[in-house]
Amino acid sequence: MVCYLTNTPDGTTNMSTWDDRQPIYQQLADLLASQLLDGQPKEGEAMPSVRVLATRHLLNPLTVQRALQALGDEGLLENRRGLGLFVTIGAHARLRATERQRFLETEWPRLRERLRRLGIGAEQLQWETQS
Amino acid sequence: MSEPLVNARSVSIAYGAKRAVDDVSFTIPKGRVVGLLGHNGAGKSTLMKAMVGLAAAQGELSVLGLQPRRQRVQLLQGACYIPDVAILPRWARVDDIITLMSGLHPKFSADRARALLKRSSVRGSDKVKTLSKGMMVQAHLALIASIDARLMILDEPTLGLDVISRKAFYEMLIDEWCDGERSVLISTHQVEEIESLLSDVLMLNEGKLVLSISLEDMDRRFVALDHDPAVADRMAAAHPLLRYRSNPANGGARGATTAVFDGAPPEDVLALGQRVRPSLVDLFVALTRKPELDRQHF
Repeated sequence: MVCYLTNTPDGTTNMSTWDDRQPIYQQLADLLASQLLDGQPKEGEAMPSVRVLATRHLLNPLTVQRALQALGDEGLLENRRGLGLFVTIGAHARLRATERQRFLETEWPRLRERLRRLGIGAEQLQWETQS
Repeated sequence: MSEPLVNARSVSIAYGAKRAVDDVSFTIPKGRVVGLLGHNGAGKSTLMKAMVGLAAAQGELSVLGLQPRRQRVQLLQGACYIPDVAILPRWARVDDIITLMSGLHPKFSADRARALLKRSSVRGSDKVKTLSKGMMVQAHLALIASIDARLMILDEPTLGLDVISRKAFYEMLIDEWCDGERSVLISTHQVEEIESLLSDVLMLNEGKLVLSISLEDMDRRFVALDHDPAVADRMAAAHPLLRYRSNPANGGARGATTAVFDGAPPEDVLALGQRVRPSLVDLFVALTRKPELDRQHF
């Protein structure tokens, strides 16, 4: 009964990228949102079908539908009758605003705390990427 | 809500004095991928056999609205089954079997079988005896999935397959089978791998159904809490189903422990930990473990 033993972080049989922190549909929604932020697909373009996403991510189609529903509820996707789901115009700006807010509210305080502990000031940080 | 594809009420199946399946009730609606989980000897194969009329069951069991034992021929027009001991004739070529199936089964599509086989590494001219275990399973699944059926019953289809073949199998299952109408019942020991493919789970322990739930409801009903070893005693006092070492991939502290509860524990206990997603494999261990296995898990 090796099935218990695969509950290890480096389990070689683990083919999914899902963790145990959140429901899987939420993780897929987050993944799709981050892809939208990278312009995949672009605003006004069609989303891949449930079947395509389910096969690509090896997920039950119902889970994919829940993820798309969640993105729809956030106003990032819209249903065009008979045509399927499309990326809403303005989705990019909306996502960016949400992500910025999330960074400022949750990530930044932690990062600031760490910088403070390490004694790193703003002037010691490289703001321009080296070419 | 349309009629479920499978309806089982108080189903028991006995081999002599032994009750292999004991008073089991569940339904399988259309459009579902149902995992049938249990240790070896838990009754999975027996239950599947009964669903296609190969074992006598007591209680009410209807599949596609038919009685499997009495209306077996009619049932097999709409349901297909790969048993755990599935074999294809070794002397035949895959093309021969496609021809044979076309003659045998009115709802078999030879074109679909050839199209599905194109996705695998199996060729029609291959003789069955030259196929590897993984290719054999792919060929078998392609043949069975080419039957225009509403219910597919697969008994440990991934047994003995390597990770690449299993992935190909899962892709085929989702892409070719899941259309919202058809359902599949699949037994497996690859609990972790298959979790994300499932819509529902049936869990058998020594013939009894210990869990029958949709994955969506599972997330809500079971509460898993990552917690620090310092509060372990208080956590244990709240009677979790199971406690085990947390998965470090979740970002928890080293040495942290996870406790799984059936239903939310009291607020003060809830506050002691951080809620994580209860994984199916954890629930499987919690609900089907045998006393002698306890120490291995914790």
